Amino acid sequence: MSTATLTPPARPSAAGRLLRRVWRQPLPVRIGGVLVGILVFAAVFAPLLAPYGQNDLDFNAQLQGPSLAHPMGTDDTGRDVFSRTLYGLRIDLAVVLFITYVPLPIGVLMGAIAGYFGGKVDLVISRIIDITIAFPFIVLVIAIVAIVGPGLTGIMIGVPIVAWALYARLARSEMLVLREQPFMLATTALGYTRRRAILRHAVPNLMRSSLIYSTVDLVVNLLLLAGLSYLGLGMQPPNAELGTIIAEGQANLLNAWWITTLPGLVLVVFGVGVGLIGDGLSDGELRGGGA
Amino acid sequence: MTAVAQDLPGVADATTDALLSVDGLRVEFGPADAPLVAVKDVGLTIAPGEIVGLIGESGSGKSLTCRSIMRLIGAPGRVTAGTVDFEGRDVLAMSSKELRDFRAHDVGMIYQDPFSSLNPVMRIGDHLRETLRANRGMSKAEARAEGIALLERVGIPDPERRYLSYPHELSGGMRQRVMIALATASRPRLLLADEPTTALDVTTQAQILDLLTDMRRELGMAVLVVSHDFGVIAQVCDRVCVMYGGHVVETGPVERIYADPQHPYTKALLDSVPDMESAGNPVRREGIPGYPPELTDVLPGCVFAPRCAHARPGCTSVPMVLQPVDAAAPDAGSTACPVRPFSVGGPFDPVAGSPPDPVAVPVSPQPAAATAAMTAAETAARAQTGDPGDLPAPGEARITQPTDQESTR
Repeated sequence: MSTATLTPPARPSAAGRLLRRVWRQPLPVRIGGVLVGILVFAAVFAPLLAPYGQNDLDFNAQLQGPSLAHPMGTDDTGRDVFSRTLYGLRIDLAVVLFITYVPLPIGVLMGAIAGYFGGKVDLVISRIIDITIAFPFIVLVIAIVAIVGPGLTGIMIGVPIVAWALYARLARSEMLVLREQPFMLATTALGYTRRRAILRHAVPNLMRSSLIYSTVDLVVNLLLLAGLSYLGLGMQPPNAELGTIIAEGQANLLNAWWITTLPGLVLVVFGVGVGLIGDGLSDGELRGGGA
Repeated sequence: MTAVAQDLPGVADATTDALLSVDGLRVEFGPADAPLVAVKDVGLTIAPGEIVGLIGESGSGKSLTCRSIMRLIGAPGRVTAGTVDFEGRDVLAMSSKELRDFRAHDVGMIYQDPFSSLNPVMRIGDHLRETLRANRGMSKAEARAEGIALLERVGIPDPERRYLSYPHELSGGMRQRVMIALATASRPRLLLADEPTTALDVTTQAQILDLLTDMRRELGMAVLVVSHDFGVIAQVCDRVCVMYGGHVVETGPVERIYADPQHPYTKALLDSVPDMESAGNPVRREGIPGYPPELTDVLPGCVFAPRCAHARPGCTSVPMVLQPVDAAAPDAGSTACPVRPFSVGGPFDPVAGSPPDPVAVPVSPQPAAATAAMTAAETAARAQTGDPGDLPAPGEARITQPTDQESTR
């Protein structure tokens, strides 16, 4: 296979390479990539794409169904649901990325240390992991919200405090296998420091499973965020967030289905897209960009 | 390259000019009060630039001996006695910093399985750059140039491109070459090769062995080759230590061991290797009856006695001590078998044979109490279900022949 790349073609730009790389993936991954790509694009450029402000009231257009002027209709105060969904998605994705990918490296590192050293170090870290996982999570978030006040800050503090533990448990179990591999023995035989062995030689091997799990975690966290906002612990009105939009639309579910359903569908599309990518990752079918 | 020193009469001798000298090494597993002893009182010396072979069946303790030299035995195993002396420094007493320094600069190690000894997520170049930067303090650019030079030296074609390859893109032989480049990157004076060719096919095996002898010649590096294959040992080694049941049973120059084995086990081992005359011969090679001892078997006297074709009644009480084969020629090595010459012409025949008088055997009868204690320890050890490390099941404990001759048997 590598003989085919003996004469490499002119190197395209970094973005071009990424696109080409995405395009060479199996079909489900490609579909997932496109879905997530559209949503991320929409979220990033929300202020440019949204036809209205997220809190623009229009009492001449209350509870209108989807139309060209309002692609997702309007809510009971005449706010454009499409614009609110875009702004909500923007906040949601940013928060979800934060609460998923901040705990991930912390967890992987803790798990790698526990697995590499074993013994007492492992015992201490493993018990901390157990306690963290056993702790009633919603109660913890409510407690933190009570301290820092309502809003997304509470979630952004509370979720990472708990979420690292699952990554740590995952990384620890993989590290137990990995440390018996001859190439990890070789890091000792070559006289590397343990720090170097863990960070540069072991952790890259542990990232795969954690990254796959993180795609599930992304969806779970998005739903969690929407759920907490629905409970009033997250984003505070009037600003938009998918959970609050859905919660507010609930009262009009029977006569204005679009307020809850269409933002809900956006959640579903994001979940399906991320799920497809994660599935491709775990099948190990991703095709590299190198040889 | 200077002349290869081949002096080594006894075991613990020649410490003065030896690069490495191991003495009285003992490796145990399991509980301290009823240990499973995998390596018993093993001695070994390697002179600068010398290639020494360590041969034995699976479970004979050869790999553990090899790893002890770098203190690479992981828990549950432990070295409980003996010294490992490298150029006057005691490896077993080193602090963790000294030990790291010793591993980084003085010894290199290559392993049996080249498929898992390279990190799958790192490029070949990353491996080399890591060791060059960590152990030789090179800059990125220097490390790249040196890394490519190292790949070239171990005979990897198109090293510039291979520098950027991932391990899975290379064949087993190429990976083993990369391992050798990696292990020798910091110019160690001793290379430990733990079954370096077992996972490779015969032609690749020969190339890797040639590479090892070339590297010895060019760098003046001593090599310890651990193998269960007499063909491998014969091809590269100056001197051989034969291990059985955790003991060194015979040591000496490779020619002498081949021509005139002085321990029945060595003889049996050589007899079990097919030769050219046996090609196409439907008669099976002479095997060694029985199985190698389990770790839980505590055998009094000679460990090989239960399987030995030349065993005498006194053999169960002789101490496992190496004695010079020929007092007049200290270079000829030593053997742990006191019954010499045992009948070299073939298996001992109690009717026709007239072996040397067993009275000559130095008998040191064990006190009854010691024997009783041993039995108790043995019983306790048998109750153990713990895995004694990497010692394989008796089923695979067989001396393998080169694979090309396997089919002719």
